[in-house]
Amino acid sequence: MSLLYLALFCLAGIGLVRFLLPFELKPSLHAALAVSVGAGAGLGIASSLYFLCLTLAGPKLAVIFPVEGVFVAGAIALGWVAKPKGPDLRWADGPAAPWFLTALAGAAAVLGLVFFVMHSANKPHGEWDAWSIWNLHARFLYRSGDLWKNAFSPQISWSHPDYPVLIPGLISLAWSLARGETTLAPIVVAFVYTFASAGVLIAIVGVLRGRTQALVAGALLLGTVEFVQIGAMQYADVPLSFYILATVAMLCLQDRFPDDPRYTLLAGLSAGFAAWTKNEGLMFVVVVIVARAIALLRFGSMPRLLKQLGAMAAGLAFPLAITAYFKLRFAPPNDLTSTRPVDIIAHASDFGRWVTVLQSFGKEALFFGQMAVEGELVRGFLIPISLVLLLYWFLVRFRVEEQNRSAVATVAIAVGLMLAGDFAVYVLLPNDVNWQLTTSLDRIFLQLWPAGLLAFFLATDAPQLAVKRAAEKSKQARQSAKPQRRAAETR
Amino acid sequence: MGVTVASIFWILLDVAGAYTRSSTGYGVEKFESRFGDLRNGLTPQMTFGYVSDNRPDDPSDQAEFYLTQYTLVPALVTTSAAPAGVIANMHAATPDMNALRARNLVCFRNFGNGIFLCRNMSVR
Repeated sequence: MSLLYLALFCLAGIGLVRFLLPFELKPSLHAALAVSVGAGAGLGIASSLYFLCLTLAGPKLAVIFPVEGVFVAGAIALGWVAKPKGPDLRWADGPAAPWFLTALAGAAAVLGLVFFVMHSANKPHGEWDAWSIWNLHARFLYRSGDLWKNAFSPQISWSHPDYPVLIPGLISLAWSLARGETTLAPIVVAFVYTFASAGVLIAIVGVLRGRTQALVAGALLLGTVEFVQIGAMQYADVPLSFYILATVAMLCLQDRFPDDPRYTLLAGLSAGFAAWTKNEGLMFVVVVIVARAIALLRFGSMPRLLKQLGAMAAGLAFPLAITAYFKLRFAPPNDLTSTRPVDIIAHASDFGRWVTVLQSFGKEALFFGQMAVEGELVRGFLIPISLVLLLYWFLVRFRVEEQNRSAVATVAIAVGLMLAGDFAVYVLLPNDVNWQLTTSLDRIFLQLWPAGLLAFFLATDAPQLAVKRAAEKSKQARQSAKPQRRAAETR
Repeated sequence: MGVTVASIFWILLDVAGAYTRSSTGYGVEKFESRFGDLRNGLTPQMTFGYVSDNRPDDPSDQAEFYLTQYTLVPALVTTSAAPAGVIANMHAATPDMNALRARNLVCFRNFGNGIFLCRNMSVR
């Protein structure tokens, strides 16, 4: 039954997105994007409403059931009656993708799926952070009755009770409605976020750059074993990466269709759910607004920026209000943010910390994808992925079309600012910086990996076009060299 | 693309091998079954202490404490032996009851898998 309720929440989110970005009820790229974004939006809204019910009325099914029911029924009805209008999102013009590319992308998807299922079957409760943070909080919310606030008790400060509640709330909600615990609930939640991320990435790159780039990007994401692994481990980093990606993807579409503010509204909603998922999401809300402002002031206009800021604020309002309410009313102090100013100054003036953090960032950028399997460190890619991307860039080069400039700038600046913010957090806040880096830096990179791939594939040229352009260039060079050679021979 | 697919296939084999070989790790179900029917009848008002015969520098000490809390939700579990009821998580074939007694802990229930429920005699 838990799965049925989770499916209904996803369907409600899809209905809501269909209401905002109407599409024909048939398989299409537009539908794929709406389904992927909608599933995450539905889960986020359901979790937020559940927390609201808990705080206002306690864990009473008589309240939770109708509230969630109205959301599900209303959103599905809105999606059902929506008439297709507005832009239809299709594959961008470009050369057809070769068959082997489709086959390789399909192989990566199947292997990713097999890996996810294998991991989940072996570890249905997830791994360390799942049972010491996310599923633990879900159990407290579900099993504690009127004392559900025990989930945020300072007595379990080691389990980070200040962390936002999107994932634990969602799992507890599914158990509450189904009146029983099952490990299938967190597994399905993890599955949706992992594979919906691939759906969003493939669809948005497909709309903006075409089929070839989309297939390569999707294969790279699902081929990043660490991404699928962390997803299957039921950590919140993959859901966070989903919301970050969905936010920047919607902003990219906003640039393609500047007169329709609904894309930015959805971007705001996604950014808000990023904040409701993990503390890093709060930083992302600030970062994405700054990134958008910089991109639009450089490539857009002030009136466009102001209009979009309004739409984003409207989207952000509900999830951010829930997050703020949780942070101000329930969350105990955070171990990092409660660092004393005197310690922050001492950390900032410690040159060794800067070097340590810089070295770790450099190593992670080079060896991104490494992972531990049963305690043994395994290389995630046979060849470091940063070198593969570097070679890809060398072969095809960047080619950003006029219409994609503000989109590329938004995503690249957002990813860059997030990395800079995370860098500052590592330098300034933790007392044991080495432990903090060892236990979390790979996941910080992972949170930004889908958005980073989006920025990369929006900026790079399609391989076939790059080859065509290179051939034309060399042909032109040969043609212009011929008369010169003839003139030289005549002389 | 080729590198990606080859990598994931390679790692899939590694992972499959690791899972079939694996006898260690923190098997949550196995851990939960050790607590037997202690898990029944727990209420959110309960707080237990926790002691273990693991060495404090043993990485599994922390994991087992976390798993104990995960297993015993809605009760709260603290790392001290101060509460009236204390969970003793023992691994030796013949657990050292004298060490527990030295901490004023008297075990009154043995769950048979190295898990004991003890009373802290210094709490009235």
